[in-house]
Amino acid sequence: MATLDGSSVKKLIVACDAGMGSSVMLASTLKKQLKGNDVIVEHSPVATIPQDADVVVTQASLADRARGVVPNVPVVPFNLFLGDPAVTRVVKAIQSGDSIEV
Amino acid sequence: MSETTTPLTDLLAESSIQLDAHASSKEDAVEQAGAALLAAGAIDASYIDAMLQREASVSTFVGEGVAIPHGTLAGKEAVKRDALVLLRFPDGVDWDGNEVKIAIGIAAKGNGHIALLSQLASILLEPEKAAALREATTTQAVYELLASEDDDDDANG
Repeated sequence: MATLDGSSVKKLIVACDAGMGSSVMLASTLKKQLKGNDVIVEHSPVATIPQDADVVVTQASLADRARGVVPNVPVVPFNLFLGDPAVTRVVKAIQSGDSIEV
Repeated sequence: MSETTTPLTDLLAESSIQLDAHASSKEDAVEQAGAALLAAGAIDASYIDAMLQREASVSTFVGEGVAIPHGTLAGKEAVKRDALVLLRFPDGVDWDGNEVKIAIGIAAKGNGHIALLSQLASILLEPEKAAALREATTTQAVYELLASEDDDDDANG
């Protein structure tokens, strides 16, 4: 568990294995949802997640790999590409500036 | 990183849209998507193995009866150009317990496909549009749904 301070998130990374398909789709969706929140949303292969990320969302099966790449960054695993509650919580925390446990 | 917008019909050629496909399994569907990418000249044949590997490790089911089979990071070397294919399975395909009616195969080494995937994401968030895609019986209907509504979706940041 880690604490994610929604108000401090400036860079959100969506990570998947190839950075080719699913992460692209989720990143574009999150970018729309976070429009106006001054957050950079990028997609990335899990192996090259940028170290300056503030939070990483990734498929549950890739979460351990993601934590290995950026051990100091909160990693939020998800199971559904559309409407996953874990991702929705992160979006809400960023929008409201609240802190959540992830 | 700059992004060039590839015309939809270049990325997803009319000949790469199969609206009456049939597959006996998820693997069969992925292989068919791979074969269509191969026929489009977008990949080397080894990419199809990468697609199957990726599917075996993490499903590419994205919801609303849609899957987006694509390769792995290692498989990227087998990609010759950015291209997509769309296969519609009117009878559905069992995708680890989910029913898939649309498989969109992706080969990408650049960012030419990002606008199209962004548009696909917004379609899937609107149930009636997702249903229209699942029920599309003409390539024109597919193109109309996938034509980007806005061009400011630089998902690369």
